[in-house]
Amino acid sequence: MAIDDRSPAILVRELRKTYAVPEREPGLRAALGSLVRRRTRQVEAVAGISFHVSPGEIVGFLGPNGAGKTTTLKVLSGLLHPTAGEVRSLGHVPWQRDPAFLRRMTLIMGQRNQLAWDIPVIDSFELNRAIFGVPRDEYRQRLTELTDLLELGELMRKPVRNLSLGERMKCEFAGSLLHRPEVLFLDEPTIGLDVTMQRRIRAFIAEYNSRTGATTLLTSHYMADVEALCRRVVVIHHGTLLYDGDLTGLVARFSPHKSITIDLEDGGEGLGERIPALVGPPEWIVSHAEGRLTLRVPRSETARLTTRLLANLPVRDVIVDEPPIDEIIDLVFAGRAGPAEVPPA
Amino acid sequence: MRAVGLFWLSLRIGAMNALQYRADFFIQLAQSTIGLGTALAGVAIVFGQTDELGGWRRDELVALIGVFVMVGGLVGVVIRPSMERLMEGVRLGTLDFTLTKPVDAQLLVSVRQVDIWRLMDVALGAAILVFAIAQLGGRVGLAAAAAFAVMLLAGLAIVYSFLLVLATLAFWLVRIENILVIFASMYEAGRWPVGIYPAWLRVALTLLVPVAFAVTIPVESLIGRLEPTTLAGTILLAACFLVVSRWFWRLGLSRYTGASA
Repeated sequence: MAIDDRSPAILVRELRKTYAVPEREPGLRAALGSLVRRRTRQVEAVAGISFHVSPGEIVGFLGPNGAGKTTTLKVLSGLLHPTAGEVRSLGHVPWQRDPAFLRRMTLIMGQRNQLAWDIPVIDSFELNRAIFGVPRDEYRQRLTELTDLLELGELMRKPVRNLSLGERMKCEFAGSLLHRPEVLFLDEPTIGLDVTMQRRIRAFIAEYNSRTGATTLLTSHYMADVEALCRRVVVIHHGTLLYDGDLTGLVARFSPHKSITIDLEDGGEGLGERIPALVGPPEWIVSHAEGRLTLRVPRSETARLTTRLLANLPVRDVIVDEPPIDEIIDLVFAGRAGPAEVPPA
Repeated sequence: MRAVGLFWLSLRIGAMNALQYRADFFIQLAQSTIGLGTALAGVAIVFGQTDELGGWRRDELVALIGVFVMVGGLVGVVIRPSMERLMEGVRLGTLDFTLTKPVDAQLLVSVRQVDIWRLMDVALGAAILVFAIAQLGGRVGLAAAAAFAVMLLAGLAIVYSFLLVLATLAFWLVRIENILVIFASMYEAGRWPVGIYPAWLRVALTLLVPVAFAVTIPVESLIGRLEPTTLAGTILLAACFLVVSRWFWRLGLSRYTGASA
């Protein structure tokens, strides 16, 4: 992809969103009391985050439940007014809900559906066509394209209530893209889908992006989605930004360990005694069986230890690898790793 | 123009939805017939005893019943179901998708849900009204008919604004499904001219819940009993209602938080 010098498609600067949440003690007495005097607590869902997304980029927006992802997406798509901060989507202030902006974006939420429940899918599409004012010939052309890409076929004649979750999601995608938006906000679009359907949706998002150059901000709890689609990720936690950069950089920054796997010649016969002494701290050894030694080593020690082992052991093969991305995300979310604790590699 | 187009679409979708459940048709048919029958029976009983009720004669009251049923139908076809859907949308967060559409959100929420069977009331009410006008004979001139049309529109605008304000309260209070019942129960009083009620109720029906504007005043303009000042005042009031309700709607919308996904 060429370096983009146009202005960002999405710009977020010091975004804050605070909700007033009603609060009371359990029990009937407290319930009665709250009729008279409601106490509320201020909950800061987003506590000052900043980032921007260039046109055409697909960015993974990650964070545990309650991190503020959905709130941010809703501010970006104009549903919510922020408490403070500056936000631009395609140059517009989203919550002013300028039709010129709304015609160029879409929001798809895996946990919600927006197609009318009781009528055939195609009729819902027609409703969207009218609302978005898509000319008929363009509509027909896009519908054909989306039908092919998503293999909708017969589905379109069925009422939404008769579709499976996966089928419904495909139709949601088609219905939300008929106006050919330039920005896609996807909030867990693959949630609850089986692995095959997840892969289909994923491939479709990539295809839509490459055909139209649409900017995409995607949240997902499935790391496979993120690995397949997003070169760049933005990670938030407790409403603050933890990381913004390459997916590979995230691994380097947040995983304090690397894994080293060594296959020994002749199954490592007679080396049992020497290995613990060579490695050093016993907790670095994950397993040692049938000629294969697996180690989990602090990032800073990896090179030195690998050299020592290569020099002193009959090594047939060696693999130095990053731990699985899931594991890293888990570490980040659990607060067991953070930029303050681990210096950038 | 956009409003008419969107309303037409909602009507089509509503019809497609409704036609799947035929039983509702017969239920609504029974309901409309019974409602109209009771109203007309009330008039028949009263005029069995007297020739006049608070200055209203029989045919005038029949016209009033026609307008009462027709306006009730118009509110029931689109305004009330849409407002109910709006309140549900605020509570469940389904308003999200309405707000992502490049159409004025107030317009969209106001025509989003249609109950086509209530068109039966509109048709029945209109038929009764036409019948009553025929009975009134030459008393209804062109000017009166025009005034009636204007007052009917103003009355609908006032009722719509009133219901929009009630529904918009959902942005603050979240769960207030029964709030629209306030209007429904007060509207029942509209089947009689508000002039026959005691002063306190008359005030309530005019100022608190604007039933008088929806039914009595349009009919008064039809039978040439309306002062020009009331006519002008009603138009002005309707404009005020529309402006204030729109302001209130925008205020509510800025408080929208959605339901967490």
